[in-house]
Amino acid sequence: MPLSLNTLPRVLLSAIAAFAITAAALLTLRAGDPPTVERPSFSSLPSQPRPGASTDERIAAYQAIVKARPRTAAGYSLLAGAYTQKVRETGDAGFYTRAQGIIERGLSLRPTDPGLLTERGALALSRHDFRAGLRDGRAVTASDPTLRRPYGVLVDALVELGRYEEAGRALQHMVDLGPGLAAYARVSYFRELNGDIAGAREALDLAASAGGASAENVAYVQTLLGNLEFGDGRLAQARRAYRQALARFPGYVPARVGLARVDNARGRSGAAILRLRSAVAVLPLPEFLTALGDAELAAGRTEAARRDYAVVRAQQRLLAAGGVNTDVELATFEADHGSPARAVDLARGAWRSAPSVRSADALGWALASAGRPREGLRWARRSLRLGSRDAMFLYHAGMIARAADRPDLARRWLSAALARNARFSPLYAPRAARALRALS
Amino acid sequence: MRRSLISVLFAAMLALGVLAGPAAAHPLGNFSVNHQTTVTISSDRVDLKYVLDQAEIPTFQERDRSTAAILAAKRAEVQRGVSARVDGRVVDLTLAPGGTITFLKGQGGLRTTRVELTLSAPADGAGRVEVRDVTFAGRVGWKAILVAPGRGTAVRSNVPHGDPTNGLREYPQSLLSSPENRRAASFQVEPGAGTVDAPGARGHAGRSADKKSGDAFTRVFEDAAAGRGTFLLLLLIAFAWGALHAVSPGHGKAMVAAYLVGTRGTSRDAVALGLTVTVTHTIGVFALGLVTLALSAYILPEDLYPWLNLASGLLVVGVGAVVLRSRLRRRGVAARAHDHAHQHGHDHEHGHEHGRDHAHAEAHAHGHDHARDDHSHDHDKRRHSHDMPERVSPRSLIAMGVSAGLIPCPSALVVLLAAISQHEVALGLVLIVAFSAGLAATLTGLGIAVVHAGRLTARVDTSGRVFTVLPAVSAGLILCVGLALTLQALPTL
Repeated sequence: MPLSLNTLPRVLLSAIAAFAITAAALLTLRAGDPPTVERPSFSSLPSQPRPGASTDERIAAYQAIVKARPRTAAGYSLLAGAYTQKVRETGDAGFYTRAQGIIERGLSLRPTDPGLLTERGALALSRHDFRAGLRDGRAVTASDPTLRRPYGVLVDALVELGRYEEAGRALQHMVDLGPGLAAYARVSYFRELNGDIAGAREALDLAASAGGASAENVAYVQTLLGNLEFGDGRLAQARRAYRQALARFPGYVPARVGLARVDNARGRSGAAILRLRSAVAVLPLPEFLTALGDAELAAGRTEAARRDYAVVRAQQRLLAAGGVNTDVELATFEADHGSPARAVDLARGAWRSAPSVRSADALGWALASAGRPREGLRWARRSLRLGSRDAMFLYHAGMIARAADRPDLARRWLSAALARNARFSPLYAPRAARALRALS
Repeated sequence: MRRSLISVLFAAMLALGVLAGPAAAHPLGNFSVNHQTTVTISSDRVDLKYVLDQAEIPTFQERDRSTAAILAAKRAEVQRGVSARVDGRVVDLTLAPGGTITFLKGQGGLRTTRVELTLSAPADGAGRVEVRDVTFAGRVGWKAILVAPGRGTAVRSNVPHGDPTNGLREYPQSLLSSPENRRAASFQVEPGAGTVDAPGARGHAGRSADKKSGDAFTRVFEDAAAGRGTFLLLLLIAFAWGALHAVSPGHGKAMVAAYLVGTRGTSRDAVALGLTVTVTHTIGVFALGLVTLALSAYILPEDLYPWLNLASGLLVVGVGAVVLRSRLRRRGVAARAHDHAHQHGHDHEHGHEHGRDHAHAEAHAHGHDHARDDHSHDHDKRRHSHDMPERVSPRSLIAMGVSAGLIPCPSALVVLLAAISQHEVALGLVLIVAFSAGLAATLTGLGIAVVHAGRLTARVDTSGRVFTVLPAVSAGLILCVGLALTLQALPTL
């Protein structure tokens, strides 16, 4: 049958339909709906990192494990732990965000996984949310009292919350489970809080020889040892410990800050300031920036100190916006360099969320700087109730006692601070010495 | 195309404040110093583009210095830290005068610093180029070297071509990758037409648009689960997304249209088809979700897709073949009495074909129930008037709908799995239904449009030879689409 005019519209329609369908088919072929397929085969499942692997190697290995077995919770807790370790080494808070996401994802698979709950608790502690850390630490140690790592979270939370007796018992249990770097380091801090400096040093030696999963762990312990030696005024020993830490983990910022403190105590403030400058260029944490400002102020560089203290405030603001509770540190900072009234508010908040000796020290110092030394004295006594021999605690307590007209207490505490290390701070040691002279 | 759609949706939601959460810190930490060097190798020269993104704290630390002084310091750091070798020899990199420096709003009322500089060196007929970037050593952040195509060269690179950061403006937030940390790159250069052979960019490699859209949708969903955003809006978004999704290639639109043209279906058929697609798609997602959960310890969900695609492709081939056969036969035997038997045979075979698909055995049974009445009806009509449009048999209609809805859209599956993992299963299920309904609305609308277009033309003439051939042609096209789907599925297996 010949094509009539009447059939044309139909022909057109069919042509259009044919074109559309062919185009759709071609597009389907090109644009391709199936997702690109990652296909780990069973024979090539990623393996565990080799012993002694660097943190980056461990991260890469655990990332591969999680990618290959996205429904297996164990990979998630290992990866979260490696991310947290990466923050300890670099200060790069982006890895906290990753750790948090990984923990949440893992917990959605296994809401009671002990490894993941432990990592979540450790992360909460790093944000200074000690109660959340305590909850997770308790939950895991209650469900499986044979794991060591959760006891670390539990002990840290209890110490920061000022529940020292419970902390002591949990710590004893942790040591009983099997001593190691993590347990010894906590034993040392616990002893130091209780004024047992020799015992603390012994525990740190044990911790350093026990060794850790990462070179940073050992460097950290060696830095703590340096801090302890420095506290006792044993500058040569402190310096050696910091150098060992740096040999173990090159560039380790806390050890560089420690060396700067030694420089300061030896009267080499220029060298100390240079060291601190390079340290805060890499890792501008508030405590390091404050140390730099203190060194500059002590050396008469008021303008430079003012600038660095301003960075402390900016950093605190950012940390707070990121959900980190920095009340204690900021309260002391404000009492020293800012608004005493604000310091009192911050310190009260700190005490409410973490009633530790550290918070008591901050609150006492804030109250005294706000012109309320008698109230402050109560808190100063509280900060020393464990028998702590921390030079800054003693210095604060002594100055508060002096302002509260208790020269006997002031003399005792100030001389105790200076007796441990006459150069404990470039800024405050000279003030302590002057106050003590004025008292006698 | 789908990616841009998602970004539009996101922009809309941002405007509505759905995603407003706490202000986020610099994604790589507020003291990160991030930089990226893009290397372009042409036949006579090497060009480097250096971008610096400095987070809030380092910017704040420099706040007392003048802009000119800061730019000068950055220029000095780049001049000192970026170096290049051509065929083993160190070459002088010339830093172009000036450069741009801007201070962008960051977090906490602070600013960030962005600097862009260009460097270049002569490299006449270079065979091998190496670039090192040791600027801002020891500072945390994203450190990347990239390659871009030049003029007159074919470059083989050991660093990626794609930039997942959009020039250090946004950073991949994948939980399973660390920030880029690349300080060195090497390139093999040959004369060519400005091409680059480079590994895939991190954060881009192995990811298709589907995966991306799924992630985006999942994020919206997580926000809703966390109490941000409104349920109704989410439903609307899911519906709209499904509706738009149906227009994208490969979602049965073409098949459905061709089928309705070929069989001369009615509006009711179009609606039924839409409903079948909704039900099938919903069931498909649920089933795949359950299967995925069960198998997830052993198989990645992605591994299932190729098989589903293959199954769907074969199903469409089957439909096309059967329809084509019946059309061709009808042309010869249309008026004869035993046409009925043929028609019956077709249905039976079709059902059988369909029944092979394990997941949808119930659809087969369903179709079977209704087949008989319809058949007699169908048969009567045809006997009296050859030219009347034949009715679509419910069974083949359902088969068509099933095959259009069988492949669950991967992003819909992601939503469901996310729902399960978030312990918000109910919300996930509701969203899937809304998504499927949107999908079906588009398909039904299309179907009705096709039916009505067909009616219009049917009034004009119904007796030409072309017209008799047309159903066979469209059946052939169904077959072609099915073959295309199958061929496409095969290489991914």
